[in-house]
Amino acid sequence: MSVKYIPVQWNPNKWKYNAVMLIGVFAYLWLFIEWTPAIMSNDGRINGQIHNARAFGSCAFLMLTVILCIGPLARLDKRFLPLLYNRRHFGVMTLFVAITHAGYIINWYFSFSASNKYEALLFANTSYGQLSGFPFEVFGIFAVLCLALLAATSHDFWMKFLTPRIWKRIHYLVYFAYISVVAHVGLGILQDQQDKIFIVVFIGGALTVAALHILAALQERRSGDPDALSSGEWVAICHASELREGYAKVARLSGEERVAVFLQDGKISAISNACAHQNGPLGEGRILDCLVTCPWHGFQYDVRSGRSPAPFTEKVPTYQVKLAGDQVLVNANANPPGTFVEPVPLPSGA
Amino acid sequence: MNAAESIFFVAQVWATIGAVVATAFLLFGIDRIDEDARGAYIFRPLLVPGILLIWPLVLWRWWVLERDLDNWRNRHAPPRRAHLFIAVMFVVAIPLIIAVSWSLRQEWQADFEPVKISLLHGSAGQGDAAA
Amino acid sequence: MAEKDTPYFVGFLPIPAGLKLFLLVVSLSLITGFAAGGILVGISQDDPGQAGFRFDHGRQTVTGVFESHPYPMLHITMGSEHLPTGKTIMVSGQGKTNIMRGRSDELDGKIVEISGVIVQRGDLKMLQIAGGRRGLKPTEEDGVVPVAEDLGTWRVKGEICDGKCLAGAMNPGRGIAHKACANLCLIGEIPPVFVSTKPIEGEEYFLIAGPDGKEMTQDTYNYVGQFVEAETRIERRGNLLVMRMDPAKMQVTP
Repeated sequence: MSVKYIPVQWNPNKWKYNAVMLIGVFAYLWLFIEWTPAIMSNDGRINGQIHNARAFGSCAFLMLTVILCIGPLARLDKRFLPLLYNRRHFGVMTLFVAITHAGYIINWYFSFSASNKYEALLFANTSYGQLSGFPFEVFGIFAVLCLALLAATSHDFWMKFLTPRIWKRIHYLVYFAYISVVAHVGLGILQDQQDKIFIVVFIGGALTVAALHILAALQERRSGDPDALSSGEWVAICHASELREGYAKVARLSGEERVAVFLQDGKISAISNACAHQNGPLGEGRILDCLVTCPWHGFQYDVRSGRSPAPFTEKVPTYQVKLAGDQVLVNANANPPGTFVEPVPLPSGA
Repeated sequence: MNAAESIFFVAQVWATIGAVVATAFLLFGIDRIDEDARGAYIFRPLLVPGILLIWPLVLWRWWVLERDLDNWRNRHAPPRRAHLFIAVMFVVAIPLIIAVSWSLRQEWQADFEPVKISLLHGSAGQGDAAA
Repeated sequence: MAEKDTPYFVGFLPIPAGLKLFLLVVSLSLITGFAAGGILVGISQDDPGQAGFRFDHGRQTVTGVFESHPYPMLHITMGSEHLPTGKTIMVSGQGKTNIMRGRSDELDGKIVEISGVIVQRGDLKMLQIAGGRRGLKPTEEDGVVPVAEDLGTWRVKGEICDGKCLAGAMNPGRGIAHKACANLCLIGEIPPVFVSTKPIEGEEYFLIAGPDGKEMTQDTYNYVGQFVEAETRIERRGNLLVMRMDPAKMQVTP
């Protein structure tokens, strides 16, 4: 949360998160690099640089695969939400691992010639007109550029500066990066590799990512937020009896605008469903200590004013609420972020 | 200049302009458009790589915020429909790429015996062929 | 409703009791998964076969008749321990360069002394010569270049590689993942080599030339690293077999 920007806002959970991530990554790299040459039963010795390039490349693939599984898993089962919490550190780490892979490749395959090694990376293979033997390196370059852009714009400043909407659009590049990585591996090492273990890991990982995404998308389609029933300015969201203390009902107003109607202390308030930070779904959050708490990163808001408690400055839009019998109606014209709205008491007997 | 050199030249020009934008934005602009950045300096170098990459977007957002043209409604309408698009894209593209890659895999035909198809040639071989 | 009982994670608060076990299991699975992945992917790399620089043989100094085209080679007239007299050896410079290029025409047909380290995979040998006069001492003396002997036209299957990486300068040094590297070697005029599925006249490896007997053609680069079937004329130069490959008579095998 803001107040004043600092490089990284640490807390014990982020340390734990990073510890698990780093132990996993170091275990992978250390075992791959230091241990496997001794256990391999090969006649020939793979060059150290190629061995390392493969270690870092396959590790980056695995990391990106895990990262991309987190989103749909958290949508399918909320217990996975903590994995989402510090995902960007995971992403930045993946970039460093991928760059190390690229470094080994460039300093080995593309060095020792009379040409600049970075230029050589682009001109050594120009068989763009064919699939087999295609310069698959370009897919890797694209993926690294995407990951670099994502890492470079991962600080919270960017989210506020660009708006979550634009920021998210940029960060959707990770999906294209992944497809690019699949093509990089598929048209690259997959063409040569005979042993099946890596092939199973690669194809299994990539198909898992695809399957989880389609499952999560189908679930969202099936049981996503209902459209608000419109009758002019005021739209019906739900019955008052459906509201539960400390929780919200979410409805879609128009386009991507969603309202979250909360019940707190027996009174109804409505705020935007989109958190000011990263547009996390506030309506799937809970009220803790009288404050709506975002399920993604824990940003908090007063449900009556849409304001974060001092000293924080985040604000979300609020909505006028009224009751028509048991119907909870919301005025579809959102109030500017941070506008106080008097909560509407639940009718007695509801 | 070959194509690879041109690409690196363009990248250098892009990054150089980015460096100018980064300097201006981080020294003067950021304090004007984001109150949370006032008095906060240590985090600013972290923003440099991002500005080098997307400086046109930075300039545009700077201008929008400077002129107070930002529409707050856009800040609360996440593009969630994209999830479905991405899921469909994944479920089509990933198996397709894997299938195509798999079909391109070649078999080393270790049993193939080279076949001699002719002996006759124009120059050096003629003497041999005649013999 | 079950939702009420599900623990709620907030980043800056302690992990709720109900989630601790779940997150512990997930964390341990991730760490175990990564560790297992590292071992499995690491040990399942294909065997690149025995090949590499023969530093164990030490520096080899040989004298012979230099032939520039299609690629630099030496017909040895005064051999060394590991490069016997009568052998024809392909020659490369340091890294991905052939330092002889540019001066090869003036050297063509001359007696020269070269010195360097052998790169070897089985029967395939290439001599990487040292820089400057240490590596190459030309003489003004003309030698006798062996007459090329035509071995006819053959239908062959195999792979086009750069001879140096294939011989073990890089390990593995062939295949699609290595294609750009191979191309870069070939751009640097390292001798290209064809690996045949089965030996022809006792040889598995062949120096590749263009259809005119000069350098390999540009179009052939598109086939590097792939398995191809080709119709090619083969000739013997000294005791090295050379394929005159025409990309028009080449196709990728399934």
